[in-house]
Amino acid sequence: MSNSNQQQIMKKYKYLILLVFLLAGVSACRKLNIPPKNIIQDADVFSSNGGIQAYMARLYSELPIEDFRYSPQRGLNFFWIISPTPATTGEALSRDQTGSMQENLGGWNWDLWSGSYTVIHDCDYFIQTLPKYASTFSTAQVNAWLGEAYFVRGMTYFALVKRLGGVPIVNTVLNYTPGSDVTDLKVPRSSEQAVWDQVASDFDFAIANLPAVNTDYGDGSRANKYVAAAFKSRAMLYAGTIAKYNTITLFDANKNQLCGIPASAAASYFQKAYDAAKTLDGIYSLYLSAWSPTDKAAQYQNFVNMFFDAGSKENIFVREYSYPNSVHGYDAYNVPRQLIGPNGYSAEVNPTLNFVEMFGGLPKNADGTLKTLDASGHYNLYTNTMDLFANAEPRLRATVIFPGDVFKGQNIEIRRGIYTGAATGGISPLLPAGSRSQYPLTNLQVSSTSTQTAYKLPDGTLMNPAGLSGIFTGDQTCAISGFSVRKWLDPNLATSQVKENNEAQTWIEMRYAEVLLNRAEAALELGSAGTNGANAADAFTVINQIRSRAGATQLSGVGALTIDTLRMERRKELAFENKTYWDLRRWRIFDKEQNGTIYKILMPFYSSQAGKYFFDARTDERNDTYTYDPRWYYEQIPQGAITKSTNLIQNPGY
Amino acid sequence: MKKLFYTAMCLVVVAASSCSKVDNYAAPSSTLSGSTIDAGTGQTVQTEIGGGGTRVKLLEISYSANPTPYYFQSKQDGTFNNTKLFDATYKISVEGPFVPIVQTDNTGTVISDASQTITLKGSATVNFKVEPFLRIEWVGKPVFNADKSVTAQVKITRGTANPAYQLDVTNINLYVSNTQYDGNNNYDPRYSTLTTYNGSDGTSLLGQTITIKTIGGALPAQDVYFRVGARINAGLDEYNYSTPVSVPYP
Repeated sequence: MSNSNQQQIMKKYKYLILLVFLLAGVSACRKLNIPPKNIIQDADVFSSNGGIQAYMARLYSELPIEDFRYSPQRGLNFFWIISPTPATTGEALSRDQTGSMQENLGGWNWDLWSGSYTVIHDCDYFIQTLPKYASTFSTAQVNAWLGEAYFVRGMTYFALVKRLGGVPIVNTVLNYTPGSDVTDLKVPRSSEQAVWDQVASDFDFAIANLPAVNTDYGDGSRANKYVAAAFKSRAMLYAGTIAKYNTITLFDANKNQLCGIPASAAASYFQKAYDAAKTLDGIYSLYLSAWSPTDKAAQYQNFVNMFFDAGSKENIFVREYSYPNSVHGYDAYNVPRQLIGPNGYSAEVNPTLNFVEMFGGLPKNADGTLKTLDASGHYNLYTNTMDLFANAEPRLRATVIFPGDVFKGQNIEIRRGIYTGAATGGISPLLPAGSRSQYPLTNLQVSSTSTQTAYKLPDGTLMNPAGLSGIFTGDQTCAISGFSVRKWLDPNLATSQVKENNEAQTWIEMRYAEVLLNRAEAALELGSAGTNGANAADAFTVINQIRSRAGATQLSGVGALTIDTLRMERRKELAFENKTYWDLRRWRIFDKEQNGTIYKILMPFYSSQAGKYFFDARTDERNDTYTYDPRWYYEQIPQGAITKSTNLIQNPGY
Repeated sequence: MKKLFYTAMCLVVVAASSCSKVDNYAAPSSTLSGSTIDAGTGQTVQTEIGGGGTRVKLLEISYSANPTPYYFQSKQDGTFNNTKLFDATYKISVEGPFVPIVQTDNTGTVISDASQTITLKGSATVNFKVEPFLRIEWVGKPVFNADKSVTAQVKITRGTANPAYQLDVTNINLYVSNTQYDGNNNYDPRYSTLTTYNGSDGTSLLGQTITIKTIGGALPAQDVYFRVGARINAGLDEYNYSTPVSVPYP
């Protein structure tokens, strides 16, 4: 570089610097008391319908519900669901979930602690600010919006208290002025009971102020008074069962009970749950559009259709998706392997035999397990794999794809292998009863991947060792339990569209069947203490309504309805809807069910000699052991939250 | 050009000098050791490694009257040792499968507190005499059967007479593992025998010789350790354990 060039550059810089100083200096002389143009002001938001709709859209999008975008592994509102919730509860097995787990509260996307308090702050801000602009709108409209903000806040406290027990109650916006004392901002935890009561009072405000039909959206995607009542029944039932069954306690120095509720409070919570559920009587109803009392196929089809009918009177509160703004990938992750979409995945949720055995219409042994052997201890033989399920409860068929059942016009082929051993005189079990060993490979043709080498059957025809949807011994992208999930899968979605971030079917967070189940459980738990019609006979009537719609046999009498049969009914009806996880927690039986537990699977085999199928019931071939640690009933408060607010006391055992 | 050079040098001087401070606080180097001892037998209380076992709770009361607790885990044999602590005054307790050191009633009132307060300077030893919920003792060593499965015998008794902890025994498990770190969080599910008891079925076995056989047929020919764990539904439902023992493969 020559000297003159350098001088020129230096000169250029000089002018540039002068210019910057001039610009900055002169413009800085203007007065700054005009509102910033780039920040949306309260008046912009709170004085128009559109502004409030935008505010509401955000509140609803952050409403903490366990929908298509939730898993305990990755938290709320995250697209990638490969450790699905049902694979943590025993409803299903998944190749990516190998045992019990507590929720990952940090999440991959959504920190449950700070995220929830952001939502609570936004509700508080709305509740404090809207009245200043109330004159712009009708009183009814203002009350309805306030009701929605209380509803969202109640839902958010509910999400916190069911995970953590007592949490700080913050019902006013906390303001921090730099340099000021922060002692007041370190809000300590309230007692668990106080938080449940806060949830109840927020829902009560919503019930009192929301209209019967939300005029902005009448389709159940925004709250009305019955939506709030339905969630109140869920929350109060939760609180009642905690009071009754929880054994973990924690007190702070002022004797606030941060974990646990005195047992004496159980009855009042159950009664509140019952009363709230009862207000929906006659407003919503069980979905029966395609149902027939005598036709099992119609009952099955009705249960499938229920999840796709936007006009269903069973839908109380839903979360809608729309491509491309708000999407999920449920079908991509969960279709049977043979219907795998263009970018992979499939078969993440494979229902366990333990789950299937809860249902009626299947051949059973005296101990309730599925009957696969005849009286002489040999396998029962079937011409088609569906023969075993010929009389299965229609609700089960609508929930689970059996080996050989039809989905999207295809036979879903699930086969573990071809048994080539002798079949005369019957086939003895491949392994001793209860064995956790691998299947012996003598007399067995299996396939390790979906690229198969066909086996020549005695009659000369060729047959692949494994079915098109598995089971492949070296590739778990298949029906590893012998079943595939059907619930929520869109039966009309073209395979080319079965992709991640491409699905948009509606999530039904609250449906009337759950309200009935809440009502029945609260009534049964109350027993003789119930008022307002809460009694065992009411529970019995309600449960039979659900069983009737499901195509199950009716319970014979009130005496046949125990708390165990009622809980099983709930698990069957709400399976794969991310509800069982919370039920097992609040019943405090997670650690009893998952106590060194290996779940059961059902493996279909084809006998080449007999020309027929047989089924082998066994434990998960992977020997994945589920042990739920009782301390997880109260999740760990994030360490970062305690560091910021040292008044927070950690839950026991962390 | 020279100007630029000087400016750059100035920046270097500023940058370098701002990095020169060293941490003026010495690393923690004091040692706290001790053990959790069964008040009835004088032996240490066996536990499991990891989060499901006994842990030591330190409250640094010389720092704050209401400090955030600091925890560290005990070893499997019930002893503990931490060599990276600051000199300070600590209120120390242990938590695990035994009658709690700090007991509260059902309204949150502290009814007994056997925590120990020490001023740590260099090193200190603290022992806690506790009453384990259950004591599990071997009756002889586990023996290999002809089919290469193993039969073990144990005797389980209560370690406390405290009426609040006379709960039913819910689980008695024989754990099989190829390391000595055998326990409810580390065992081979193919051979371990896990038994859940309803009602008083488990409790009725207390004081008797209990015989447990491994499941799944022949054990593989490798190092194998056995341990028996049992629990009642108290506190966080932690297990009490026997000592881990190894038996040579026949």
